Amino acid sequence: MNIIGRRRSLETCTESGWDAVDFLLDAPLTDEDIECLRQAGGSFLYLKQLKKPFFKIEDHTYVMKGVRGDSFFRFAFHREAASELERIEKLVTGIPI
Amino acid sequence: MIYLNNAATSFPKPSSVRQAVIEAVSSLPPGQYRSTSLRRDLFDDCRKLLGELLGIRDTERIFFSSGATESLNALLYGLAVPSEQIITTVTEHNSVLRPLFNLPSIAGKPVLLPCDPDGVVAPELFEAEAKKGRARAIVLNHCSNVTGAVQDAEAIGRIAKQYGLLFILDVSQSAGCIPVCAERFGADALAFTGHKSLMGIQGTGGYYVKKGIPFKPLLYGGTGRDSERLVYETDYEYEMGTGNTPGIAALLAGVSWVLDRGVSKIQRQEKVLSEYALTLLSELADIRIFGARLSERGPLISFQSVSFSPADLAYILQNSLGIVTRAGLQCAPLIHDCIGSGKQGTLRISFSPFNTKEEIEALQAGLKELTCADGKSSADRKLS
Repeated sequence: MNIIGRRRSLETCTESGWDAVDFLLDAPLTDEDIECLRQAGGSFLYLKQLKKPFFKIEDHTYVMKGVRGDSFFRFAFHREAASELERIEKLVTGIPI
Repeated sequence: MIYLNNAATSFPKPSSVRQAVIEAVSSLPPGQYRSTSLRRDLFDDCRKLLGELLGIRDTERIFFSSGATESLNALLYGLAVPSEQIITTVTEHNSVLRPLFNLPSIAGKPVLLPCDPDGVVAPELFEAEAKKGRARAIVLNHCSNVTGAVQDAEAIGRIAKQYGLLFILDVSQSAGCIPVCAERFGADALAFTGHKSLMGIQGTGGYYVKKGIPFKPLLYGGTGRDSERLVYETDYEYEMGTGNTPGIAALLAGVSWVLDRGVSKIQRQEKVLSEYALTLLSELADIRIFGARLSERGPLISFQSVSFSPADLAYILQNSLGIVTRAGLQCAPLIHDCIGSGKQGTLRISFSPFNTKEEIEALQAGLKELTCADGKSSADRKLS
Protein backbone atom coordinates (compact mmCIF):
# COMPACT_ATOMS: atom_id res chain seq x y z
CA MET A 1 0.00 0.00 0.00
CA ASN A 2 1.41 3.34 -1.06
CA ILE A 3 -0.09 6.79 -0.89
CA ILE A 4 -0.16 8.49 -4.29
CA GLY A 5 -2.01 11.59 -3.22
CA ARG A 6 -4.21 13.41 -0.73
CA ARG A 7 -7.57 14.89 -1.57
CA ARG A 8 -9.27 17.26 0.83
CA SER A 9 -12.63 15.79 1.72
CA LEU A 10 -15.68 17.99 1.42
CA GLU A 11 -17.59 15.76 3.79
CA THR A 12 -19.44 17.42 6.59
CA CYS A 13 -17.18 16.40 9.46
CA THR A 14 -15.51 19.68 8.65
CA GLU A 15 -18.57 21.42 10.04
CA SER A 16 -17.94 20.24 13.57
CA GLY A 17 -14.35 21.33 14.04
CA TRP A 18 -12.86 18.43 12.13
CA ASP A 19 -11.01 18.32 8.85
CA ALA A 20 -10.70 15.32 6.61
CA VAL A 21 -8.62 14.11 3.71
CA ASP A 22 -8.92 11.09 1.50
CA PHE A 23 -5.63 9.24 1.14
CA LEU A 24 -5.40 8.01 -2.44
CA LEU A 25 -3.65 4.64 -2.76
CA ASP A 26 -1.83 2.85 -5.53
CA ALA A 27 -3.92 -0.30 -5.11
CA PRO A 28 -7.22 -1.46 -3.61
CA LEU A 29 -7.25 -1.89 0.17
CA THR A 30 -6.81 -5.46 1.40
CA ASP A 31 -7.37 -7.04 4.80
CA GLU A 32 -3.63 -6.83 5.34
CA ASP A 33 -3.67 -3.10 4.65
CA ILE A 34 -6.49 -2.63 7.13
CA GLU A 35 -4.53 -4.58 9.72
CA CYS A 36 -1.61 -2.24 9.05
CA LEU A 37 -3.80 0.80 9.65
CA ARG A 38 -4.98 -0.69 12.95
CA GLN A 39 -1.47 -0.20 14.29
CA ALA A 40 -2.26 3.49 14.52
CA GLY A 41 -4.31 2.63 17.59
CA GLY A 42 -7.87 3.24 18.66
CA SER A 43 -11.09 1.28 18.55
CA PHE A 44 -11.69 -0.91 15.55
CA LEU A 45 -14.93 -1.64 13.75
CA TYR A 46 -15.05 -3.98 10.79
CA LEU A 47 -18.32 -4.82 9.06
CA LYS A 48 -17.10 -7.86 7.21
CA GLN A 49 -20.57 -9.08 6.31
CA LEU A 50 -21.10 -6.26 3.80
CA LYS A 51 -20.43 -7.05 0.16
CA LYS A 52 -17.87 -4.25 0.32
CA PRO A 53 -16.67 -4.47 3.95
CA PHE A 54 -16.41 -1.22 5.89
CA PHE A 55 -13.83 -0.48 8.55
CA LYS A 56 -13.34 2.32 11.03
CA ILE A 57 -10.46 3.03 13.37
CA GLU A 58 -11.20 5.73 15.88
CA ASP A 59 -9.23 7.55 18.52
CA HIS A 60 -9.90 10.77 20.41
CA THR A 61 -8.35 12.98 17.77
CA TYR A 62 -8.84 11.06 14.54
CA VAL A 63 -11.03 8.67 12.62
CA MET A 64 -9.95 6.48 9.73
CA LYS A 65 -12.58 4.81 7.63
CA GLY A 66 -12.74 3.02 4.37
CA VAL A 67 -13.99 0.10 2.39
CA ARG A 68 -12.00 -2.99 1.48
CA GLY A 69 -11.40 -2.94 -2.25
CA ASP A 70 -11.42 0.86 -2.59
CA SER A 71 -8.24 2.65 -3.56
CA PHE A 72 -8.67 5.32 -0.92
CA PHE A 73 -9.57 5.75 2.73
CA ARG A 74 -10.70 8.76 4.67
CA PHE A 75 -8.76 10.29 7.52
CA ALA A 76 -10.65 12.80 9.63
CA PHE A 77 -8.83 14.61 12.37
CA HIS A 78 -9.49 17.29 14.89
CA ARG A 79 -8.05 20.59 13.72
CA GLU A 80 -5.81 20.66 16.76
CA ALA A 81 -4.31 17.29 15.83
CA ALA A 82 -3.18 17.95 12.28
CA SER A 83 0.19 16.31 13.05
CA GLU A 84 -1.62 12.96 13.02
CA LEU A 85 -1.76 13.27 9.24
CA GLU A 86 1.98 12.80 8.91
CA ARG A 87 2.00 9.97 11.44
CA ILE A 88 -0.60 8.06 9.46
CA GLU A 89 1.19 8.74 6.21
CA LYS A 90 4.38 7.28 7.67
CA LEU A 91 2.47 4.28 8.95
CA VAL A 92 0.99 3.55 5.54
CA THR A 93 4.27 3.92 3.73
CA GLY A 94 6.11 1.68 6.21
CA ILE A 95 8.24 4.38 7.81
CA PRO A 96 8.74 3.67 11.53
CA ILE A 97 6.59 5.94 13.68
CA MET B 1 -25.26 4.23 -8.04
CA ILE B 2 -28.47 5.52 -6.45
CA TYR B 3 -28.51 9.28 -6.04
CA LEU B 4 -30.51 10.61 -3.08
CA ASN B 5 -28.81 13.97 -2.64
CA ASN B 6 -30.99 16.16 -4.83
CA ALA B 7 -31.42 18.82 -2.14
CA ALA B 8 -27.72 19.56 -2.63
CA THR B 9 -27.62 19.33 -6.43
CA SER B 10 -30.20 17.58 -8.57
CA PHE B 11 -29.00 14.68 -10.67
CA PRO B 12 -29.54 13.56 -13.35
CA LYS B 13 -30.62 16.57 -15.37
CA PRO B 14 -33.30 16.42 -18.07
CA SER B 15 -31.82 15.67 -21.48
CA SER B 16 -32.96 19.12 -22.67
CA VAL B 17 -30.66 20.71 -20.07
CA ARG B 18 -27.67 18.70 -21.20
CA GLN B 19 -28.48 19.61 -24.80
CA ALA B 20 -28.81 23.31 -23.98
CA VAL B 21 -25.33 23.37 -22.45
CA ILE B 22 -23.82 21.63 -25.47
CA GLU B 23 -25.54 24.08 -27.83
CA ALA B 24 -24.45 27.09 -25.76
CA VAL B 25 -20.80 26.12 -25.70
CA SER B 26 -20.92 25.14 -29.37
CA SER B 27 -22.30 28.51 -30.53
CA LEU B 28 -20.53 31.78 -31.15
CA PRO B 29 -20.65 33.89 -28.00
CA PRO B 30 -23.10 36.81 -28.17
CA GLY B 31 -21.16 39.87 -29.36
CA GLN B 32 -21.51 43.60 -29.63
CA TYR B 33 -21.01 43.83 -33.38
CA ARG B 34 -23.15 40.92 -34.49
CA SER B 35 -26.86 41.32 -35.08
CA THR B 36 -28.78 39.51 -32.40
CA SER B 37 -32.15 40.22 -33.94
CA LEU B 38 -32.66 36.63 -35.00
CA ARG B 39 -31.10 35.18 -31.90
CA ARG B 40 -33.09 34.37 -28.80
CA ASP B 41 -32.04 36.37 -25.80
CA LEU B 42 -31.49 33.48 -23.43
CA PHE B 43 -31.20 35.75 -20.42
CA ASP B 44 -34.47 37.58 -20.96
CA ASP B 45 -36.25 34.38 -21.96
CA CYS B 46 -35.03 32.82 -18.74
CA ARG B 47 -36.22 35.82 -16.72
CA LYS B 48 -39.68 35.48 -18.25
CA LEU B 49 -39.96 31.81 -17.41
CA LEU B 50 -38.64 32.39 -13.90
CA GLY B 51 -41.25 35.10 -13.48
CA GLU B 52 -43.94 32.63 -14.51
CA LEU B 53 -42.60 30.00 -12.12
CA LEU B 54 -42.01 32.26 -9.13
CA GLY B 55 -44.99 34.59 -9.48
CA ILE B 56 -43.04 37.70 -10.48
CA ARG B 57 -44.58 39.97 -13.12
CA ASP B 58 -41.79 42.54 -13.23
CA THR B 59 -39.24 40.12 -14.66
CA GLU B 60 -36.76 42.91 -15.42
CA ARG B 61 -36.15 42.93 -11.68
CA ILE B 62 -34.81 39.36 -11.76
CA PHE B 63 -31.01 39.36 -11.79
CA PHE B 64 -28.70 36.42 -12.36
CA SER B 65 -25.89 35.37 -10.08
CA SER B 66 -23.69 32.36 -9.38
CA GLY B 67 -26.30 30.89 -7.03
CA ALA B 68 -28.27 31.47 -3.87
CA THR B 69 -25.20 32.29 -1.78
CA GLU B 70 -24.17 35.18 -4.00
CA SER B 71 -27.80 36.22 -4.31
CA LEU B 72 -28.32 36.38 -0.56
CA ASN B 73 -25.05 38.23 -0.05
CA ALA B 74 -26.09 40.71 -2.75
CA LEU B 75 -29.53 41.17 -1.22
CA LEU B 76 -28.36 41.54 2.36
CA TYR B 77 -25.59 43.94 1.39
CA GLY B 78 -27.66 45.93 -1.08
CA LEU B 79 -30.75 46.33 1.08
CA ALA B 80 -28.41 47.54 3.82
CA VAL B 81 -30.47 46.62 6.85
CA PRO B 82 -28.19 46.10 9.87
CA SER B 83 -28.34 42.52 11.13
CA GLU B 84 -29.61 43.65 14.53
CA GLN B 85 -32.73 44.91 12.78
CA ILE B 86 -33.39 41.65 10.94
CA ILE B 87 -35.72 38.91 12.15
CA THR B 88 -34.73 35.51 10.87
CA THR B 89 -34.88 31.90 12.02
CA VAL B 90 -32.68 29.07 13.23
CA THR B 91 -33.68 27.12 10.12
CA GLU B 92 -31.60 29.34 7.85
CA HIS B 93 -28.74 28.07 5.76
CA ASN B 94 -25.25 29.49 6.24
CA SER B 95 -25.78 31.42 3.00
CA VAL B 96 -27.96 33.69 5.15
CA LEU B 97 -26.41 33.28 8.60
CA ARG B 98 -22.80 33.89 7.64
CA PRO B 99 -23.50 37.11 5.69
CA LEU B 100 -25.63 38.36 8.59
CA PHE B 101 -22.79 37.77 11.03
CA ASN B 102 -19.91 38.82 8.75
CA LEU B 103 -20.92 41.01 5.82
CA PRO B 104 -19.22 44.40 6.07
CA SER B 105 -21.61 47.25 6.79
CA ILE B 106 -24.42 45.08 8.23
CA ALA B 107 -22.66 42.46 10.39
CA GLY B 108 -24.19 41.83 13.77
CA LYS B 109 -26.50 39.51 15.63
CA PRO B 110 -29.94 39.15 14.09
CA VAL B 111 -33.05 38.12 15.99
CA LEU B 112 -33.14 34.34 15.61
CA LEU B 113 -36.57 32.76 16.00
CA PRO B 114 -36.69 29.13 17.12
CA CYS B 115 -38.50 26.33 15.33
CA ASP B 116 -40.45 23.39 16.68
CA PRO B 117 -38.97 19.85 16.61
CA ASP B 118 -40.16 19.41 13.01
CA GLY B 119 -38.48 22.60 11.83
CA VAL B 120 -41.60 24.79 11.62
CA VAL B 121 -41.41 28.42 12.75
CA ALA B 122 -44.74 29.75 14.00
CA PRO B 123 -45.82 32.97 12.24
CA GLU B 124 -46.90 34.31 15.64
CA LEU B 125 -43.25 34.49 16.64
CA PHE B 126 -42.58 36.90 13.77
CA GLU B 127 -45.52 39.03 14.79
CA ALA B 128 -44.43 39.16 18.44
CA GLU B 129 -40.98 40.32 17.39
CA ALA B 130 -42.29 42.76 14.78
CA LYS B 131 -44.53 44.37 17.41
CA LYS B 132 -41.48 45.43 19.38
CA GLY B 133 -40.80 47.94 16.61
CA ARG B 134 -37.06 47.38 16.37
CA ALA B 135 -36.93 45.30 13.19
CA ARG B 136 -36.79 46.52 9.61
CA ALA B 137 -36.70 43.22 7.72
CA ILE B 138 -37.57 39.53 7.83
CA VAL B 139 -35.36 36.91 6.17
CA LEU B 140 -37.04 33.53 5.79
CA ASN B 141 -35.97 30.15 4.45
CA HIS B 142 -39.12 28.94 2.68
CA CYS B 143 -38.24 25.25 2.92
CA SER B 144 -35.79 23.80 5.42
CA ASN B 145 -32.98 21.84 3.82
CA VAL B 146 -32.74 19.83 7.05
CA THR B 147 -36.27 18.68 7.86
CA GLY B 148 -38.13 19.73 4.71
CA ALA B 149 -40.50 21.93 6.74
CA VAL B 150 -42.27 24.46 4.53
CA GLN B 151 -42.86 27.75 6.31
CA ASP B 152 -46.09 29.68 5.92
CA ALA B 153 -44.57 32.36 3.69
CA GLU B 154 -47.92 33.93 2.92
CA ALA B 155 -48.78 34.49 6.58
CA ILE B 156 -45.29 35.75 7.39
CA GLY B 157 -45.39 38.03 4.35
CA ARG B 158 -48.65 39.52 5.64
CA ILE B 159 -47.02 40.21 8.99
CA ALA B 160 -44.09 41.87 7.24
CA LYS B 161 -46.45 44.10 5.30
CA GLN B 162 -48.55 44.93 8.36
CA TYR B 163 -45.50 46.12 10.28
CA GLY B 164 -43.74 47.73 7.34
CA LEU B 165 -40.84 45.27 7.21
CA LEU B 166 -38.94 44.17 4.14
CA PHE B 167 -39.61 40.52 3.40
CA ILE B 168 -36.67 38.59 1.93
CA LEU B 169 -37.48 35.01 0.99
CA ASP B 170 -34.96 32.25 0.28
CA VAL B 171 -36.57 29.74 -2.09
CA SER B 172 -33.45 27.69 -2.77
CA GLN B 173 -35.10 24.46 -1.64
CA SER B 174 -38.64 25.18 -2.81
CA ALA B 175 -38.35 26.73 -6.27
CA GLY B 176 -39.33 24.10 -8.80
CA CYS B 177 -40.82 21.58 -6.38
CA ILE B 178 -43.19 23.61 -4.20
CA PRO B 179 -45.46 26.40 -5.51
CA VAL B 180 -43.82 29.79 -5.01
CA CYS B 181 -45.54 33.10 -5.74
CA ALA B 182 -43.47 36.11 -4.74
CA GLU B 183 -46.36 38.49 -5.27
CA ARG B 184 -48.89 36.44 -3.29
CA PHE B 185 -46.36 35.91 -0.52
CA GLY B 186 -45.69 39.64 -0.46
CA ALA B 187 -41.94 39.09 -0.95
CA ASP B 188 -39.94 42.25 -1.51
CA ALA B 189 -36.92 40.21 -2.47
CA LEU B 190 -36.34 36.59 -3.27
CA ALA B 191 -33.23 34.44 -3.78
CA PHE B 192 -33.06 31.22 -5.79
CA THR B 193 -30.49 28.77 -7.04
CA GLY B 194 -30.45 27.02 -10.38
CA HIS B 195 -28.90 23.66 -9.61
CA LYS B 196 -31.50 22.08 -7.34
CA SER B 197 -35.16 21.64 -8.34
CA LEU B 198 -34.88 24.14 -11.21
CA MET B 199 -32.75 21.45 -12.87
CA GLY B 200 -30.05 23.87 -14.00
CA ILE B 201 -26.36 23.42 -13.45
CA GLN B 202 -24.05 24.51 -10.65
CA GLY B 203 -22.99 28.14 -10.67
CA THR B 204 -26.39 29.54 -11.63
CA GLY B 205 -29.09 31.31 -9.69
CA GLY B 206 -30.40 34.76 -9.09
CA TYR B 207 -32.54 37.12 -7.12
CA TYR B 208 -35.50 39.43 -7.43
CA VAL B 209 -35.88 42.82 -5.84
CA LYS B 210 -39.11 44.72 -6.10
CA LYS B 211 -38.84 47.97 -8.01
CA GLY B 212 -38.64 51.09 -5.88
CA ILE B 213 -36.81 49.50 -2.96
CA PRO B 214 -33.40 51.18 -2.44
CA PHE B 215 -30.85 48.58 -3.40
CA LYS B 216 -27.13 48.98 -4.04
CA PRO B 217 -25.17 46.41 -6.02
CA LEU B 218 -22.60 44.23 -4.29
CA LEU B 219 -20.38 44.21 -7.38
CA TYR B 220 -19.47 46.72 -10.05
CA GLY B 221 -17.89 46.22 -13.46
CA GLY B 222 -18.39 46.23 -17.18
CA THR B 223 -21.96 45.95 -18.37
CA GLY B 224 -21.48 46.75 -22.06
CA ARG B 225 -23.47 49.97 -21.62
CA ASP B 226 -22.61 53.58 -20.81
CA SER B 227 -18.96 52.69 -20.38
CA GLU B 228 -17.82 56.27 -19.76
CA ARG B 229 -19.67 56.37 -16.47
CA LEU B 230 -17.43 55.49 -13.53
CA VAL B 231 -19.55 56.56 -10.58
CA TYR B 232 -23.08 55.46 -9.84
CA GLU B 233 -25.34 57.46 -7.58
CA THR B 234 -28.66 56.03 -8.66
CA ASP B 235 -29.83 53.94 -11.58
CA TYR B 236 -27.60 51.06 -10.59
CA GLU B 237 -26.86 48.05 -12.75
CA TYR B 238 -26.89 44.62 -11.15
CA GLU B 239 -25.42 42.25 -13.73
CA MET B 240 -21.84 42.93 -14.69
CA GLY B 241 -19.04 41.02 -16.37
CA THR B 242 -19.53 38.41 -19.05
CA GLY B 243 -22.71 36.49 -18.42
CA ASN B 244 -22.78 32.75 -17.82
CA THR B 245 -24.41 31.89 -21.14
CA PRO B 246 -24.07 28.08 -20.84
CA GLY B 247 -25.40 28.24 -17.29
CA ILE B 248 -28.36 30.42 -18.21
CA ALA B 249 -29.09 28.23 -21.24
CA ALA B 250 -29.21 25.27 -18.87
CA LEU B 251 -31.36 27.17 -16.39
CA LEU B 252 -33.75 28.20 -19.15
CA ALA B 253 -34.06 24.58 -20.26
CA GLY B 254 -34.47 23.42 -16.66
CA VAL B 255 -37.16 25.95 -15.78
CA SER B 256 -38.89 25.17 -19.06
CA TRP B 257 -38.84 21.46 -18.15
CA VAL B 258 -40.31 22.24 -14.72
CA LEU B 259 -43.07 24.41 -16.20
CA ASP B 260 -43.91 21.84 -18.87
CA ARG B 261 -44.21 19.15 -16.24
CA GLY B 262 -45.92 21.46 -13.73
CA VAL B 263 -44.79 22.24 -10.19
CA SER B 264 -47.93 20.65 -8.74
CA LYS B 265 -47.29 17.41 -10.58
CA ILE B 266 -43.64 17.38 -9.49
CA GLN B 267 -44.73 18.07 -5.92
CA ARG B 268 -47.23 15.19 -6.02
CA GLN B 269 -44.68 12.83 -7.52
CA GLU B 270 -42.06 13.72 -4.93
CA LYS B 271 -44.64 13.51 -2.13
CA VAL B 272 -45.33 9.91 -3.12
CA LEU B 273 -41.61 9.17 -2.89
CA SER B 274 -41.22 10.97 0.46
CA GLU B 275 -44.21 9.22 2.01
CA TYR B 276 -43.00 5.86 0.77
CA ALA B 277 -39.56 6.53 2.23
CA LEU B 278 -41.10 7.63 5.54
CA THR B 279 -43.08 4.40 5.67
CA LEU B 280 -40.09 2.20 4.93
CA LEU B 281 -37.76 4.09 7.28
CA SER B 282 -40.28 3.97 10.12
CA GLU B 283 -40.19 0.16 9.89
CA LEU B 284 -36.56 0.24 11.01
CA ALA B 285 -36.15 0.27 14.78
CA ASP B 286 -32.66 1.75 14.42
CA ILE B 287 -33.86 4.91 12.67
CA ARG B 288 -35.10 8.16 14.19
CA ILE B 289 -36.74 10.52 11.71
CA PHE B 290 -36.80 14.32 12.07
CA GLY B 291 -39.90 16.11 10.86
CA ALA B 292 -41.91 12.90 10.59
CA ARG B 293 -45.12 14.70 11.56
CA LEU B 294 -44.93 17.43 8.92
CA SER B 295 -48.10 17.85 6.90
CA GLU B 296 -46.29 19.74 4.16
CA ARG B 297 -42.68 18.98 3.35
CA GLY B 298 -40.11 19.50 0.66
CA PRO B 299 -38.78 16.36 -1.02
CA LEU B 300 -36.30 15.40 1.66
CA ILE B 301 -36.06 13.44 4.90
CA SER B 302 -33.49 13.69 7.67
CA PHE B 303 -32.82 10.92 10.11
CA GLN B 304 -30.28 9.44 12.50
CA SER B 305 -29.30 5.87 13.20
CA VAL B 306 -28.96 4.62 16.77
CA SER B 307 -25.87 2.64 15.80
CA PHE B 308 -23.96 4.82 13.35
CA SER B 309 -23.06 8.47 13.20
CA PRO B 310 -24.57 10.27 10.20
CA ALA B 311 -21.08 10.65 8.71
CA ASP B 312 -20.30 6.94 9.03
CA LEU B 313 -23.70 5.93 7.71
CA ALA B 314 -23.35 8.18 4.67
CA TYR B 315 -19.87 6.81 4.04
CA ILE B 316 -21.02 3.20 4.24
CA LEU B 317 -24.11 3.86 2.11
CA GLN B 318 -22.07 5.52 -0.58
CA ASN B 319 -18.93 3.43 -0.63
CA SER B 320 -20.23 0.00 0.36
CA LEU B 321 -23.77 0.11 -0.98
CA GLY B 322 -23.68 2.70 -3.77
CA ILE B 323 -26.28 5.07 -2.33
CA VAL B 324 -25.41 8.77 -2.28
CA THR B 325 -26.84 10.77 0.62
CA ARG B 326 -25.66 13.74 2.67
CA ALA B 327 -24.54 13.79 6.29
CA GLY B 328 -23.84 16.42 8.90
CA LEU B 329 -25.21 19.81 9.81
CA GLN B 330 -26.35 20.38 6.21
CA CYS B 331 -24.88 23.93 6.36
CA ALA B 332 -27.71 24.93 8.69
CA PRO B 333 -25.97 24.84 12.07
CA LEU B 334 -28.60 26.45 14.27
CA ILE B 335 -31.60 24.23 13.61
CA HIS B 336 -30.11 21.14 15.20
CA ASP B 337 -30.52 22.28 18.79
CA CYS B 338 -34.20 22.89 18.17
CA ILE B 339 -34.94 19.58 16.46
CA GLY B 340 -32.70 17.57 18.78
CA SER B 341 -30.21 16.26 16.25
CA GLY B 342 -27.16 17.53 18.13
CA LYS B 343 -23.67 18.23 16.90
CA GLN B 344 -23.49 15.31 14.50
CA GLY B 345 -26.46 16.54 12.52
CA THR B 346 -28.46 14.19 10.38
CA LEU B 347 -28.29 11.92 7.42
CA ARG B 348 -30.45 13.38 4.68
CA ILE B 349 -32.04 11.74 1.68
CA SER B 350 -33.64 13.93 -0.95
CA PHE B 351 -35.54 13.20 -4.12
CA SER B 352 -36.08 14.43 -7.64
CA PRO B 353 -38.72 13.32 -10.13
CA PHE B 354 -36.13 10.90 -11.52
CA ASN B 355 -36.04 8.80 -8.36
CA THR B 356 -38.08 5.63 -8.05
CA LYS B 357 -39.70 3.59 -5.32
CA GLU B 358 -37.27 0.79 -6.12
CA GLU B 359 -34.39 3.06 -5.14
CA ILE B 360 -36.04 3.76 -1.79
CA GLU B 361 -36.52 0.02 -1.30
CA ALA B 362 -32.80 -0.43 -2.00
CA LEU B 363 -32.03 2.19 0.67
CA GLN B 364 -34.21 0.36 3.17
CA ALA B 365 -32.55 -2.94 2.28
CA GLY B 366 -29.13 -1.34 2.75
CA LEU B 367 -30.08 0.08 6.13
CA LYS B 368 -31.51 -3.31 7.12
CA GLU B 369 -28.25 -4.92 6.16
CA LEU B 370 -26.56 -2.62 8.62
CA THR B 371 -29.04 -3.08 11.38
CA CYS B 372 -30.57 -6.15 12.93
CA ALA B 373 -34.29 -6.74 13.19
CA ASP B 374 -34.13 -6.34 16.96
CA GLY B 375 -32.75 -2.84 16.57
CA LYS B 376 -29.18 -3.82 17.41
CA SER B 377 -26.68 -2.82 14.84
CA SER B 378 -24.19 -5.06 13.20
CA ALA B 379 -21.76 -2.50 14.58
CA ASP B 380 -22.26 -4.22 17.91
CA ARG B 381 -20.63 -7.27 16.42
CA LYS B 382 -17.16 -5.88 16.18
CA LEU B 383 -14.70 -8.19 14.52
CA SER B 384 -11.21 -7.77 15.73
